[in-house]
Amino acid sequence: MALLEVRNLVKEYDGKTVLAGVDLDLEEGQVKVVMGPSGCGKSTLLRCLNRLIDPTSGQVIFRGEDVTRPDTDVRALRQRIGFVFQHFALYRHLTALENVTLGLRKLRHMPAREANEKAMHELRRMNMHEHADKYPAQLSGGQKQRVAIARALAMDPAVLFFDEPTSALDPLMSREIVAVINQLYLDNVTMLCVTHDLFLAKYISDRVLFLDEGRVRAEGGADQMFSDHDDPRIRAFFGHGPQDR
Amino acid sequence: MSGWLSFLHDALDYWPQILAGLGNTVLLAVIITVTGLIGGVFVFYLTLSPNRLYRRVTEGYISFFIGTPLIVLLFLMYYGLPQWGLRLSPLTVSVIGFTMNVAAYNARYLMTAYNGLDHGELEAARAQGFSGLQVFRFVTLPQVLRMSIPGLTNQTILNLKDSSIVFLIQYTEFFAQMQDLAARNFQYFKTYLVAGIVYLLLVSIIVIAARQLERRFVMPGTRA
Repeated sequence: MALLEVRNLVKEYDGKTVLAGVDLDLEEGQVKVVMGPSGCGKSTLLRCLNRLIDPTSGQVIFRGEDVTRPDTDVRALRQRIGFVFQHFALYRHLTALENVTLGLRKLRHMPAREANEKAMHELRRMNMHEHADKYPAQLSGGQKQRVAIARALAMDPAVLFFDEPTSALDPLMSREIVAVINQLYLDNVTMLCVTHDLFLAKYISDRVLFLDEGRVRAEGGADQMFSDHDDPRIRAFFGHGPQDR
Repeated sequence: MSGWLSFLHDALDYWPQILAGLGNTVLLAVIITVTGLIGGVFVFYLTLSPNRLYRRVTEGYISFFIGTPLIVLLFLMYYGLPQWGLRLSPLTVSVIGFTMNVAAYNARYLMTAYNGLDHGELEAARAQGFSGLQVFRFVTLPQVLRMSIPGLTNQTILNLKDSSIVFLIQYTEFFAQMQDLAARNFQYFKTYLVAGIVYLLLVSIIVIAARQLERRFVMPGTRA
């Protein structure tokens, strides 16, 4: 069954069309990567799906329920979607452990001890348990992103959204995060990942979507998309100019 | 030297009144610091409201109280309201007047700190499913308060010092008593010098306390 079905999603800001009718399906256990040039609407797409941004029109069906309806419990929806950001967005006044437990304690009303145990479990999974008492400013970029992933996983989300998770990292840290996400992929975590990072896309994805000017221009397997695609715009994006032919 | 001896003698005679005045000064400063902080947080919260009308009204409130001398407000309430049949005690008038004024200043300090926040963290909290009020309580406020400690400390010092103006509405605080003393012994210089030193000592206590607070609550990595 599809976890997420997006139908003809449109988002306009002040008469400017950012998303011009996007269709997308994500099955349970599937990983999809959304790629495309800057400004093509990738980040807006993710934010429309969890209603951080309200779409202008179209439907988002999450486990059979249309979540674009006005009576949707937006906060309940968001709690089922783990969100990992480009710039980590850890709460800087809290330790790594507290970053993970905040949602468990305040949203799930879990007792402190139980929340700590659950958080330590997730931090161990990310190999960050030894840094549990450090503050975000005392962690490297890669470590911060691992804490952010632990924070998202602790809420037992139905799906993880990644918004350019490796873009703010140097190549070494970036590979560290790719390995972590790949492990999640092997663990069958459902994921939707927006990225520019070809390496990440190749590693983790079943399917790649190419978003351009607010529309899905093509969708296919990673190999098919990155090698010699018929569409010249896609070829150009992935670095196969006319001279390669 | 004998001048100081006779001054000390007078001061000792007058000691109960001075002490009572000092007590009133500290009482007022403590009350308005607490109510001003609570009021400031409340006004700050309203400035973040998604409702445009609330934001406008709050901005107007802040501009009004920062733009009007406090003494006008105090006189208005203490000498003006009785003409409408409403008589308030000097302490009540002082607390209301200062709270409204200090809340406006504190809200400004908090807004300045808010502009320095990483708004990605606030988005992350909303994405996690926190309500607007929860984001404010668990992310915005803890960070903004920490960053505002220097500004809020300054305001606390101002509260203590400015409390000396309320002798003008018959609140017998420390400075009023010192004026009384000076009028009795004619030792103006010595009396007001001592008054100044006492204020300085009280301010020093606030500064030391604020340092401790800052050390305890500083966020690692937020200052170079």
